[in-house]
Amino acid sequence: MNRKEIWVYLERNPEEIEDVSLEILGRAKELGKKSDMSVVGVMLGKEPGNLGDIALKHGADKVIFLKDSLLESYSTEDYTKALFEIINKRMPEIFLLGATYQGRDLAGRLSARLRTGLTANVVSLDIDTDGYLLSGVPGYGSKVLAEIICVRNKPQMSTVRPGIFSKKLIPIKAGIVEVLDLDLQGSVSRVRVVSRKVEKHPDLSRAEKVIIAGNGVEGNLDMVAKMADIFGARLGVSRPIADKGKASRELQVGSTGYSLNAKLVLIFGVSGAEHFLPGIANCQTVISINMDRESDIFEYSDYCVVADASKIIPILLREGGDR
Amino acid sequence: MRNIIVCTKIVPKAEDMNFDPETKTMKRSGVENQINEADKNAIELSLKIKEKNGGRVVLLSMGPPFFEQYLKIGIAMGADDAILLSDRLFAGADTFATSATLAAAIRKIGDYDLVLCGEETSDGGTGQVPSQLAELLDLPQMLFVSEVDVDGNNLKAKRTIKGGYEIVESGMPAILSIELGINQPRFPDFKRKRWADKEFSLTIWSASSLEIKPELTGTSGSYTIVKRLTEYFTHQRQRISVEGTAEQQANKIMEILREYG
Ligand SMILES: Cc1cc2nc3c(=O)[nH]c(=O)nc-3n(C[C@H](O)[C@H](O)[C@H](O)COP(=O)(O)OP(=O)(O)OC[C@H]3O[C@@H](n4cnc5c(N)ncnc54)[C@H](O)[C@@H]3O)c2cc1C
Ligand SMILES: Cc1cc2nc3c(=O)[nH]c(=O)nc-3n(C[C@H](O)[C@H](O)[C@H](O)COP(=O)(O)OP(=O)(O)OC[C@H]3O[C@@H](n4cnc5c(N)ncnc54)[C@H](O)[C@@H]3O)c2cc1C
Repeated sequence: MNRKEIWVYLERNPEEIEDVSLEILGRAKELGKKSDMSVVGVMLGKEPGNLGDIALKHGADKVIFLKDSLLESYSTEDYTKALFEIINKRMPEIFLLGATYQGRDLAGRLSARLRTGLTANVVSLDIDTDGYLLSGVPGYGSKVLAEIICVRNKPQMSTVRPGIFSKKLIPIKAGIVEVLDLDLQGSVSRVRVVSRKVEKHPDLSRAEKVIIAGNGVEGNLDMVAKMADIFGARLGVSRPIADKGKASRELQVGSTGYSLNAKLVLIFGVSGAEHFLPGIANCQTVISINMDRESDIFEYSDYCVVADASKIIPILLREGGDR
Repeated sequence: MRNIIVCTKIVPKAEDMNFDPETKTMKRSGVENQINEADKNAIELSLKIKEKNGGRVVLLSMGPPFFEQYLKIGIAMGADDAILLSDRLFAGADTFATSATLAAAIRKIGDYDLVLCGEETSDGGTGQVPSQLAELLDLPQMLFVSEVDVDGNNLKAKRTIKGGYEIVESGMPAILSIELGINQPRFPDFKRKRWADKEFSLTIWSASSLEIKPELTGTSGSYTIVKRLTEYFTHQRQRISVEGTAEQQANKIMEILREYG
């Protein structure tokens, strides 16, 4: 009898596999061990290249590559169609995707077509005593964790938040990459991409040191960025700074941005709203600088500095050796 | 332009919600509610589209009767109509059952060019409803949209993707999810608010007014089950106060920075 399978969507960007997909593979491998299931990475594209091997090194027992020139770049409807067909044929127990823009766009549509349950942005994954996938979904910012199962249908689907699990190199026997030629007869996509502008940002959730700028230092963003540079830290921002277009969304920290895993985080002019806090919950040491002694951010800080950031920043720049 | 339907959820203010470790539920007493923030951005955007291209803005919400007073705020902002889907049967819906119920209502409203949602809510916050709704209505979807341009039957949108954005196009009808914070929602008009409170009557549809089997709604139409709620983030911080002059405070920060290399 064939072993049951946990499938993991391998998101391409386009020349690499997104870290979150490799992170999920690592966790899936552990769950597979626990429940005697094998882990299958699923990738779509024009040519498999060597990306399949990378997935095999990070926990996949096997990789399925859905091949068609139409699948070269992501489209909701073509990807949904291709995945729907193969999933219906092989019916994995579990299908996990990264909670990225693409993963969420795809997972919602696909789960509805498959008529199955989907959990969002999960921060924990386990197999419960009855063998079901138990996923932890944060709610109300991140005050609570709802532990959710899907028993009515398969696959049990979840999108997994980036930066929660760590990717691991796992020694393997010999995994295989199964290439399936799809021969899709024309695109079903009704959305056309006219143009695209992307910059590459290293993943903020992996940074060791982060300096975060909030609304309170909106006028001093350049100085905060310079400070991050001097101290070998990455710059992060609260949501309003990204909303106003003053920094890329890729720098946003919080429930709709990145969750940091930094050893040290320095926070300037952030009030500590519910939806900001999950972004810093996993950091080792938190220093906050805020003018308002009553600010909520201080409840979630190790060092509380009540001060005008515009007075502190120049001194730190000077001490850090800025000329 | 035909109808612009804006899916609008009423949510408790996140800062008012607290977990009760005894009952393992959220304490709701004394909680203030509001139109979900991203949905306000969607309403504002719909009004801008209407100003330029015509059409009617219809708010659609699924929830208990008390949602009515908040939907009237949307009417006072300038929406033309509001429909509340309210029935005990709808309770306990997961995102799929929510989407199925909203989809049935959207079919009944009919004659629409656009369905706008918020990118996600501040309570459940899954962001799953827009794409599930799009699938159930068999419409093109564009998520995390920050700008929209309607030209005849052509729709152009700017959507956020990892590391940047894309400009995408489609025909209409289509479903968009609107990014939180993309605009400043207008204030409700005072006179219109008074009119809405006194004279405007909201349309309320129950399960029997919709063409949907009751077992596809609420708990019975859901595929996910919440096994339990637990408190999240119990991480205790040291909360050491760094006092003194700015110079002294900065020195302390430097000291910690050096410790971390
Ligand atoms: C802590 C917690 C975790 C949860 N996790 C899951 C989960 O993982 N999977 C799952 O299936 N369900 C989950 N649920 C249930 C889910 O919140 C409900 O199904 C809810 O009705 C809709 O989901 P949402 O609030 O996440 O909407 P989102 O998908 O975040 O909403 C996006 C947009 O859809 C529209 N919309 C959503 N709900 C309505 C409505 N009632 N009326 C009108 N428009 C609406 C709005 O425009 C909104 O901005 C969870 C609930 C909680 C409290
Ligand atoms: C569904 C949803 C998702 C969200 N997701 C996110 C998210 O991922 N990330 C996020 O950040 N937010 C998110 N938000 C927004 C969040 O609710 C807050 O609005 C936001 O975090 C506030 O940003 P802030 O603290 O920078 O600004 P503010 O709340 O305006 O706070 C500014 C702070 O700076 C202080 N200050 C002002 N001047 C100075 C000075 N000179 N020196 C020192 N301190 C000063 C003030 O005392 C204040 O505390 C989300 C909201 C919703 C509804």
